[in-house]
Amino acid sequence: MSRVDLDKVWKIYPRGNVIGVKDLTFTVNDKEFVAILGPSGGGKSSTLRMLAGLEEISRGEIRFDGKVVNGLGPAERNVALAFESYALYQRLSVYENIAFPLRARHLPKAEVHAKVTRIAELLDLTDLLKKFPSSLAGGQQQRVSLGRSFVRQPNLNLLDEPISHMDQRVRAEIRARIRHLHDEMGNTTVYVTHDQAEAVSLCDRLVIINKAELQQAGTVEEIWNRPANRFVAYFVGEPSMNFITVRAQGDASLEVQTAAGVKVLKLGGVLKEGYAGKDVTAGLRPQQLKVHRGVQQGNALPGIVRVVDFQGENTILTVSLGGKAEEAVITGGLRAVVAATERYVVGENVWLTIEPKLIHVFDGDAVILKR
Amino acid sequence: MAEDILEKVTKLYGRKRAVSEMDLVCREGQFLTIFGPTGAGKSTILKMIAGIEPITSGRILFNGKPVNDLPPQERNVSMAFESYNLYPHLNVYDNIAFPLRAPRWGLKLSAAEERRRVEEIANFLGIGELLERLPQHLSGGQKQRVSLSRALVRKPEVYLLDEPIAHLDARLKFSTQSLLKEFASKYRATIIYVTHDYREALALSDRIVVLRKGTIEQAGSPEEIYYTPVSDFVGRLIGEPSMNLMDGTVVEEGGKVLFVSGKSFRMPVQGSLVPALKKSAQSEGGSATARLGIRCEHIRLSRQKQSDTAFALPVYAVVHEAESTVVTFELEHTFFYARVRQESGFVDYKVAENLWLDFDQDSMFFFPKTIELSAKA
Repeated sequence: MSRVDLDKVWKIYPRGNVIGVKDLTFTVNDKEFVAILGPSGGGKSSTLRMLAGLEEISRGEIRFDGKVVNGLGPAERNVALAFESYALYQRLSVYENIAFPLRARHLPKAEVHAKVTRIAELLDLTDLLKKFPSSLAGGQQQRVSLGRSFVRQPNLNLLDEPISHMDQRVRAEIRARIRHLHDEMGNTTVYVTHDQAEAVSLCDRLVIINKAELQQAGTVEEIWNRPANRFVAYFVGEPSMNFITVRAQGDASLEVQTAAGVKVLKLGGVLKEGYAGKDVTAGLRPQQLKVHRGVQQGNALPGIVRVVDFQGENTILTVSLGGKAEEAVITGGLRAVVAATERYVVGENVWLTIEPKLIHVFDGDAVILKR
Repeated sequence: MAEDILEKVTKLYGRKRAVSEMDLVCREGQFLTIFGPTGAGKSTILKMIAGIEPITSGRILFNGKPVNDLPPQERNVSMAFESYNLYPHLNVYDNIAFPLRAPRWGLKLSAAEERRRVEEIANFLGIGELLERLPQHLSGGQKQRVSLSRALVRKPEVYLLDEPIAHLDARLKFSTQSLLKEFASKYRATIIYVTHDYREALALSDRIVVLRKGTIEQAGSPEEIYYTPVSDFVGRLIGEPSMNLMDGTVVEEGGKVLFVSGKSFRMPVQGSLVPALKKSAQSEGGSATARLGIRCEHIRLSRQKQSDTAFALPVYAVVHEAESTVVTFELEHTFFYARVRQESGFVDYKVAENLWLDFDQDSMFFFPKTIELSAKA
């Protein structure tokens, strides 16, 4: 229940002079649910460990409610942690596992009981309180672990990939419970994950870290519509953004090579100076491409369906443009998501259209479109 | 490529029946997926086809010829396992080239031809840069792609792939899935594929066989499995969140048939569904009970009551996805989920707020109870 600030935080591992985290600045507001998202080895865990007080901060400051906590250990910071591995005490009952952090703080018995009972109710653990961890299923153990971390209202709740290895059925449930607990208890929560779907679904805001550096911090909507760079554009969204090499025509359109000749895509903004006539990368989200059977005019690309991936609720088409435009996607083609009720077959001719304002343009990793 | 048939194949481990009287046909050029939860017998079937696991009774035929007595190396199959089983002392190139050099198939490729084939498949799977490395220097995802390349490099009668992309990260899984599909159609390959991941099963297969404790629960096209699951078991296996299942009693009142669950849920069932409801109803403690199944995308939510079949419940949690929002409700100690597409406006539903739920009855199922619902994992 604190506001947390990271101010120019560095983590430098002396051995080999490896930079784990570089000049990281972001804020987690009071009662906010923030995800730290990024690929493995990108600096997420170092950040989490520094937040928890498990690892020394090399440079910069971490503040809880304005107070510098650099020198404080985990207990003094009043931080609760739940890990991917549940790390339950096998010799203690579920009740005692959850009560553990309270007992460690010498809370009166009656208060311990009230808190454990309440959290057990919230997590639907009431019937399991007398059991021991070894007799519980994985999902149940994870709930106990969450209960233990949420039971004493800490300044900050840190969750490290708590559901990444659970099976999908349990995942939806635990996800709902975590969000429910956060809202119910009014906690400040930081959730570390490499799974973008997980982060997007749970959190108010995302902090995306890669190669030890902050890439972007913002709401899901901001990150989805205005990615700060190509990495973010690629990392968030499933299936991920299509990237194709195109040529800038003037400062507000792109030329795309297709088997049917050069097609022009109008942009929803203007390109930075100096790109006219040069090769750049266009980014098109599969979820925002519309697929048509008939000929289309204006921001339309003709192609041939190469792969049809039925996904249940929807279908993902891989459409080959036939020109030299394809890149990045190994199959060579643009992915497009269509409703499963529309049946397309391999080899079919289709047209893809996209609204100008939904097109992203990059030079290397940098965004070069001004809106 | 060959047609593969299993006739009444049974596998016993001691007294335990891993596979019971299984009849299965995989046509030439077909992509057949054996799909089911852990322990259903999926891998056992694959191993029996490969000849690694002897069968207790029944026959396995390739192109009409029984192969029961043939050892694995005499059955012209190519296999990739979930555990990669790479040769640790060989580099990636030699691992992939290994089946091309096996004397049994007498390929006797020239060095240049061998390299061309290995590079083709390695590039196809995005590991072309790793050919000189030893397995110990690869990540799990890379090892798995080497293992898959080794299985795909040769042209056998049938490819047997056991969870071949289970260890790739979500992103890579997705692109590799499309690649496999393209590979299958390009070479008209006969593939028998094992997975517990419904996305892979739906996306890849011409035909899916859903396995349950060693027997076939349902077989059909991906569309059939998705749109017309035969049981709560099949329904529950597919979707994220998976199909909502709720138990209730069947009540007849003034000529109408109602499905009732708990205090707040009383739904008049439309006429076309009544036969299915009655068929699946079981008698339990004096009243008829049944199980309703509906996918999360077929529940409409609103703040106002939109129809007389709608009912109200408090929101338990709201989680956002890129283009949709999943709202969770709790009813009679089970969760169920409704997905709202963002196209239909931004969703600002709050926890504990009462919302009206309206089930799309054309997309609703009634099942006999065949699985435990206390799926409170």
